[in-house]
Amino acid sequence: MSDAIQDEIIKEFEGLEWFDKYELLISSAREVETMAEEFRTEENTISGCQSKVWIRSYINGKRLHFEYDSDAMITKGIVALVLRVLNNRYPQDILDTDLYFIDEIGLKSNLSPARADGLMSIIRRIREIAEEGVS
Amino acid sequence: MIDAAKDFPILEKEVYGRRLVYLDSAATTQKPECVIDTIAGFYRSDYSNIHRGVHYLSEVSSERYEKAREKVSEFIGAGNPAEVTFTAGTTDSINQVARSLEPSLRGNEVIVTGVEHHSNIVSWQMAGAILKAIPIDDDCNLLADSLEITDRTKLIAISHASNVLGSVNDIKDIVSIARDHDIPVLVDAAQSIQHMSLDVKDIGCDFLAFSGHKMYASTGVGVLYTSERFSDMMPARGGGGMVDKVTLEKTTYLDPPLRYEAGTPDIAGAISIGAAIDYMQKIGMDKIKEHEHEVYSYARDRLLEMDDVTVYGNTDEMCGAISFNLKGVHHYDAGLIMDKMGIAVRTGHHCAQPLMRTLGVEGTVRASFALYNTKEDVDMLVEGIEKVRMLHS
Repeated sequence: MSDAIQDEIIKEFEGLEWFDKYELLISSAREVETMAEEFRTEENTISGCQSKVWIRSYINGKRLHFEYDSDAMITKGIVALVLRVLNNRYPQDILDTDLYFIDEIGLKSNLSPARADGLMSIIRRIREIAEEGVS
Repeated sequence: MIDAAKDFPILEKEVYGRRLVYLDSAATTQKPECVIDTIAGFYRSDYSNIHRGVHYLSEVSSERYEKAREKVSEFIGAGNPAEVTFTAGTTDSINQVARSLEPSLRGNEVIVTGVEHHSNIVSWQMAGAILKAIPIDDDCNLLADSLEITDRTKLIAISHASNVLGSVNDIKDIVSIARDHDIPVLVDAAQSIQHMSLDVKDIGCDFLAFSGHKMYASTGVGVLYTSERFSDMMPARGGGGMVDKVTLEKTTYLDPPLRYEAGTPDIAGAISIGAAIDYMQKIGMDKIKEHEHEVYSYARDRLLEMDDVTVYGNTDEMCGAISFNLKGVHHYDAGLIMDKMGIAVRTGHHCAQPLMRTLGVEGTVRASFALYNTKEDVDMLVEGIEKVRMLHS
């Protein structure tokens, strides 16, 4: 199923060298507001990442809204991309979305198993939250 | 300067279209061709189980395995090959001592240092010991004067060189204090054995632990030196190959070293340690030390001249590893960017979380060196740092 936001991301990364890809991730991370210290709790931390990632969510209308942060910019940039796609969607939508852009922009092919695990843990957490929203 | 890179086939490799600059030798060293050939050659022509066959191959294998033990014994200055046992690595060596001494350690104290790696912390805790750490000053020098030995102190277990900082601890100083109190000392030499000559008799320690894979040999094999003083220590593991007489009522054990080598050991691994020792000795440990010192000092100088780089630790003697951070840059980002330039560094807490807490950081970038690294590798590291900086500006 094609997804306008994912297609947009794929376009942005098209033809970029790794240096530019990382630059893009870092600059998108910079645009994300820093999460308030009080929410950077153990409970909101995702394990399985070499860097720390914090994700919290709340329902806004019937849509799920996520806030996130990471102490590493490249990680934060990757979460930013994932949530650019999944943020403010209905929980069922989130569960139905196939994140095909990750393969397409060449992030996954460059990820070692440990790093891929980190990314998978982030996506798993987002889906878990969505599942709670559905039930 | 020595030119050893040519001996290591993997160093010809390109990653992401760039020359591999391998600066993660504190995690594990690459293997020279001669070690790889020895392992392959052993499996091809001499392989069999040891110490139990009457047949030709078993004899040859046993001989090669015991020859490796002799080489290790001479290499570390042990008086007798029986003091050398092959284990699965540094962690396993430490764990075996912890298991063997557990009855005396439980509820008592083991003294470690403030720069320890987790394996020299966790094993003692698992044996029920209470840990006390010799504190470090701002430069990460051990404050040996703060060493407090009490009636409950049963062992001192210290790393020779820090896997994070590259700081070399003055172990002789600590061993001599321990000797006065008749406390045994275990030295974790995982991060020093490949960088300098060691002499256990000169150090005066009772135990010395190190791994094969950090000294150009195989993974999954290591050494535990146990001084004759502890030759009747209870073996940590039981099974075949370590027993004298077995009845259903009672078992008696062989003398060291076989007493401590239950089951089939990593025969090829042990032989690879022998080959690695041959390789290092052919170059010469003094030459290795001199070469590495030059590369290491050059790296420190280059890093120290950068205003936005913090280098951790500054002791009189240093070797192997350098840990640093760039101002405003997460170590993980730095590692990812350098990786894309073909530079293999390590990032994170390096299995030394208490030390990270002392330094007040979550993690560091660690560049670590071996005999095959050159000043050119350091220049590449500096270029990598510049790229990291550029991406964060």
